[in-house]
Amino acid sequence: MRAAITRYEAAHQAMGTEFTLVAYGDDPQYLTAVGNEVFDEIDRLEGQMSIYKPKSELSVINRTAASRSVCAEPKLFELLVNAVDHSQSTGGAFDVTAGPLMKAWGFFRGKGRVPSNSEIAQVLRRVGSRHVHLNRAERTIRFDMEGLELDLGAIGKGYAVDRAVDIVRRYGVTRALVSSGTSSLYALGAPPGARGWSISLRNPYSSEKAANIVYLRNCSLSTSGNYEKFFKLGTNTYAHVIDPSTGKPVENMLAAIVLAPSACDADALSTAFYVMGVERTREYLATHRDLMALFYLPSSTGRKFRRAILRSDGSSRIGAFFPRTPERKRKSTRKGTSTGASARSSARYATARWDDRSL
Amino acid sequence: MKDKVNDEVTRRNFLRSAASAAALAALPGVAAIAENPGPNDAVRYGFIGTGTQGCTLLRFLTTIPAGRCIATCDIYPPNLKKGVETIGSKPDTYEDYRQLLDRKDIDAVLIATPLYLHARMTIDGLEAGKHVFIEKSMFFKEEEAEQIRKVSAAHPKQVLQVGLHRRSSVLYQTAMEMVGKGALGRVLLVQSRVTTHSSWRRPVADAKYERLINWRMYREYSGGLMAEMGSHFIDIANWAFEGEPVSVIGTGGLDYWKDGREVHDNIQSIFDYGGGGRHYFHCMLFNGHHSNGVMIMGDQGTLDITDDRGIYFREPVAKISSGPAKENWWAGATVSKAAAQKGVLIFPEKEAKDSGFVDRESLYARRWLASMGIYQPEEPYDPYWGELVNFFASIRENKAPVVPLEIGTADAMAVIKANRAIDTGQKTSWTKKSA
Repeated sequence: MRAAITRYEAAHQAMGTEFTLVAYGDDPQYLTAVGNEVFDEIDRLEGQMSIYKPKSELSVINRTAASRSVCAEPKLFELLVNAVDHSQSTGGAFDVTAGPLMKAWGFFRGKGRVPSNSEIAQVLRRVGSRHVHLNRAERTIRFDMEGLELDLGAIGKGYAVDRAVDIVRRYGVTRALVSSGTSSLYALGAPPGARGWSISLRNPYSSEKAANIVYLRNCSLSTSGNYEKFFKLGTNTYAHVIDPSTGKPVENMLAAIVLAPSACDADALSTAFYVMGVERTREYLATHRDLMALFYLPSSTGRKFRRAILRSDGSSRIGAFFPRTPERKRKSTRKGTSTGASARSSARYATARWDDRSL
Repeated sequence: MKDKVNDEVTRRNFLRSAASAAALAALPGVAAIAENPGPNDAVRYGFIGTGTQGCTLLRFLTTIPAGRCIATCDIYPPNLKKGVETIGSKPDTYEDYRQLLDRKDIDAVLIATPLYLHARMTIDGLEAGKHVFIEKSMFFKEEEAEQIRKVSAAHPKQVLQVGLHRRSSVLYQTAMEMVGKGALGRVLLVQSRVTTHSSWRRPVADAKYERLINWRMYREYSGGLMAEMGSHFIDIANWAFEGEPVSVIGTGGLDYWKDGREVHDNIQSIFDYGGGGRHYFHCMLFNGHHSNGVMIMGDQGTLDITDDRGIYFREPVAKISSGPAKENWWAGATVSKAAAQKGVLIFPEKEAKDSGFVDRESLYARRWLASMGIYQPEEPYDPYWGELVNFFASIRENKAPVVPLEIGTADAMAVIKANRAIDTGQKTSWTKKSA
């Protein structure tokens, strides 16, 4: 007898967001138990990586590594190696040591504030992955100056998604979606009868409108947007992505979306590309593989935005499909500039001005 | 066994229909009278017992033109004087409530006397042809339930309303609407508490008035904390579970305020409603950290009400379904869904400032609750005011009051049984005949 298809969906609060797991299988009890394993692991990772909890392993490392070498748990060490690699390969656009900058701007337990230039200069002295020394043989971490802090805020949720997918796979589930709230998700396989998992990318000006739809299969997607966290002071709006080279919030960027085989990489790179902008990202993609980047850029006219899509070598194999519809073709004459409303059912960037500069 | 189940169901249905009929009757009446006070058909009432609670009600009564206070009564002269000053309508005053009841020009009486007098005065009031508003708990002794019921049945045209004022609270009405609409899923536990660091003692200038003023301290007159505090939340649990408990266990002690009082200064009790539903109530007078409130907990959500503030939490529950679903997920836009699980103020003390991410998202979540018809922005009137307006509206429009006999009886009976459980250390059950 052929087993019936069972769909399981659960949500779980962790890391300041809501993780969601959808999984298909044939046994509801089994899927529920797999879900328990996934969320237990996410909670464990939060307990290990949180800088909001003094007892977390990362907090202990931050308090100790300036005075002596600290040994890290293998998986965390691996993540820190990966984070430092991303810091270096993006020229510091993603910076695992940028925590003090976030604090200076009041994005850590604060309400937002504008630090003075001299304060920013002070803080920048304590930022830079070059000050983090990782001894792979000993699995130890050492800071070469006081005041340095590792902050996994721009990579940890993606990492947790990957670990969750590992568990789901280990238990034999082949169709699942793991999402960490606003930022990162991984689509494993496809829902029964579907080509992939349908993901609506939110319009940068409206959380209820889709700017694009993409179908994912064995692919992750991560977003950095100016709408995620920000504060207003006077007439200025300050978004939470800080450029570690200037110490100031990035301007002229609405969102950077990265598609990659790993959610951890997609998470780190979405922050990096947001900081780097289109041209520097193009340079990055020229020397890396299996990545796709999508930008929503401000337009000079009101609440409109421009799209730019960039691809690296191998990007056609990462499992992301943009649907083509007649409507999209019709509207594609507008050169990729659109209002949110008209973008809802279109993915016209695919033939737009910036499109498809495969590198 | 079968009979017991049937009886249970019948009893619950009865309470449910009584409550919903009352709730339906309550609100339009409130609006109609508040907006169109008819000067000629004001209810002429006497007020019996103008102590602390009596004067609390009198202060609200001064703003309700649907009723006119023409007489007050108290056996303690300073309270009698205080009542007259509070209502300000120059009522005639009495020390003997029976003389007040003898007046033919009085339509209704409101009674806020010590508990042990409730049944006698309620019965006398009904038999004198008056509509009766009786403060909670409705009665003191188990046998008084039947006595009141008989007299009330013999006077069907007279309103009998019990002063369980949370039934007139829009906050609690909203909470119960959420329970009824399934926002909490299957409700299995009500946790409630009244906590305060207070001797619960009123000052007595002349020692001979000690038992009169501090009647709450003495078992001859008082059901202690269970009657004075617990009765409110017993009624909330009855409301949430749409019925009465089947049994109660409890404990308690006089462990802190050993000042000659006879009632406990801390009590803990668990009411079993059958079918897995339980209500845990505790009250203490040596620590006020947790204030007053109730948590209504279902398998899909929690309502956490503390004082005048209610917060709704969605329980993260896995959804299991069969067959493929239309999978349409969002990137960069799911934060608002997370906000619902963080806790949504169902009665914000003030509107969220549009200052940042969390405020905006919780505003979105509240709009979402409002769109489901289960969100009210704020308490539009004080529940004391509401219950008093409802009393006059029930009289003038010949409608069932918001807290009719059945609700008050179930509440008072649970107080008595819980006190018995605490005093005997034995589980106390409801029998078919008792309710």
